[in-house]
Amino acid sequence: MTEGRLTSKFRRGVLWVALSLILLLIFLSIYGAFLGAERAKNFFSSLPLAVYWIALTALLIVGVVMFHRLVRVPALLLIHVGCILILAGSIWGSQAGHKLQKKLFGIDKIPTGQMLIYQGEQEHRVVLDDAKQIGELPFYVRLTDFRVEYYKPDYLQIQSGQGKNWGIPVEIGREIPLGQDFGTIKVVRQFESFKIKVEDGKNVPFDDPNSAPNPALEVEIRSPDGQAATRYVFERFPGHTRPEDKLRLWYQRIISDYVSELQILRNNEVVAEKDIEVNRPLYFGGYHFYQHSYDADAGKYTVLMVVSDTGLNLVYAGYLMLCIGALWHFWLKHLYSAVTLRHVNGD
Amino acid sequence: MEIKYTIQGLLIYAAIAAYLSAFLTTFLRRERVGNFLYLLGFIAAVLAFIYRWYDVRHVPLQNLFEVFLCLGMISYPVSWFCRYTLRAGGYSGDLVIAAIMLVPAGFVFSAEPQRLPPALQSWLFVPHVAVYALSYIFMAKATFQAIFQLLAPALRRGYPGQWPGLKADEKFLSAEDATYRMVCVGFPLLTLGLILGSCWGKLAWGDYWGWDPKELWSLASWLVYVGYFHFRYMFGKKYARINSLWAIAGMVFILITLFWVNLSNLFSGLHSYAR
Repeated sequence: MTEGRLTSKFRRGVLWVALSLILLLIFLSIYGAFLGAERAKNFFSSLPLAVYWIALTALLIVGVVMFHRLVRVPALLLIHVGCILILAGSIWGSQAGHKLQKKLFGIDKIPTGQMLIYQGEQEHRVVLDDAKQIGELPFYVRLTDFRVEYYKPDYLQIQSGQGKNWGIPVEIGREIPLGQDFGTIKVVRQFESFKIKVEDGKNVPFDDPNSAPNPALEVEIRSPDGQAATRYVFERFPGHTRPEDKLRLWYQRIISDYVSELQILRNNEVVAEKDIEVNRPLYFGGYHFYQHSYDADAGKYTVLMVVSDTGLNLVYAGYLMLCIGALWHFWLKHLYSAVTLRHVNGD
Repeated sequence: MEIKYTIQGLLIYAAIAAYLSAFLTTFLRRERVGNFLYLLGFIAAVLAFIYRWYDVRHVPLQNLFEVFLCLGMISYPVSWFCRYTLRAGGYSGDLVIAAIMLVPAGFVFSAEPQRLPPALQSWLFVPHVAVYALSYIFMAKATFQAIFQLLAPALRRGYPGQWPGLKADEKFLSAEDATYRMVCVGFPLLTLGLILGSCWGKLAWGDYWGWDPKELWSLASWLVYVGYFHFRYMFGKKYARINSLWAIAGMVFILITLFWVNLSNLFSGLHSYAR
């Protein structure tokens, strides 16, 4: 058998293996989808799958070396090298990749974890993802303020016993007619931290800025016969009602954003600061800090997700190459040939 | 099933009616009337989309109602692009696709306006969904051609121009070639959608890949088309019917990604807001 035929057979074999690995990954993806994100993450990070990822990366490298077409056609080269970089970056940035870096180069970075910080306090400890270990950052993160922002206006949702619904924008003092069966409704007051005190034997509601948030509305319902009743509608107790009430009420506020005002401190000096929101993380010292969770009851602390940037540049470079390669190969080439063909046909 | 007695709903129904009427004209060989009705349907769909945009105060691509409204709108320019630039026929199929795309918006999904949750307030929101929507239309058209190539032996002499109401026209590609050409256009969009989604995931959730069911089905859809290209590279048109099966499988995966993953409780995950 000549060397040329052997090479050709080998290439054919490489293509068959490639097709098999693609099919296998399709099936694994479907299987992973049924597992749910958390279990799928563990599954795709397991040892057999690590072997798969390495085999796929190796096959792509063999493909680039063996198929001269991949080198001759730059767009195809970009696509395949892009895939190699994405896989290499992902492997390098994985938990196993971090362990390997620590062993080989002594680089000790926290792959991913969470940190809880109270308002006005600073923290450098990170609870790692397995929740068994605590990592330490080489700097401190201080939370100067945390707030939840809401869309305006707020809404008062009303439902009658017959299932009729109203959604009324909260506007203090405005009387809204609900039809001849239900009379009118009016928002009288709005509370951020509703509390009640007793004055002269009477319950008096008031806004207490020092206590935990308890948003509420004071509404006045005037029945068709002119009788007025006052009700308090709490955001945290939706649909709360008295047995004699004809209407169920909800106070609805829609969250527009969560904001943590952060400072990075080194030797007690502020070296960076940023108000982080969802989609606007802070990047410092090789880590990204994300708004992850918060104290829903009292709003006193925030929970940040800390993620190492190891391998990220490789992945992004791979993305860029894959995109450019795909657009070049599948669009520009075909558009060029379509336009040339039309030109030749004299269209 | 939800009938929408609103201006927006009526515009959607008008668009569906116009697209279906245009489809019927293909049987009557009234191509100019069909083109006019197709254009009218497109205008109605554009008006419904703009109305929605004004109503919700953000680009309406947040939920399945809005996505299908967008799909019903963009199918018209995509159809013309495929016809005149890619030389892919299947005009009557385009009309059916356009009408089908609007049916979920008109009858299935709620049009209740929603505010954007914090995760969706990103510059990547519109490009990510828009490129996916575009790619889906191209892949849907490719699937139509693949089915045509596979299941219509009487018409399988090669020219989609032989579809009901249209004369055979040799300026159009054969069904297999047309499938390939449209997958070639749709695939980079699918790639871009996947990558933009990944970059967005990194910004919003801290990870460029979260192993969420929707992400995994999207990856599987993308891989099916990768498989299609590799198979076609290996065998060319020798097994044209298998090429078509790959393309059809890709669309099945896309439909699962779009419908099943978003609507079924079986696949709850980070993308559940897209219902």
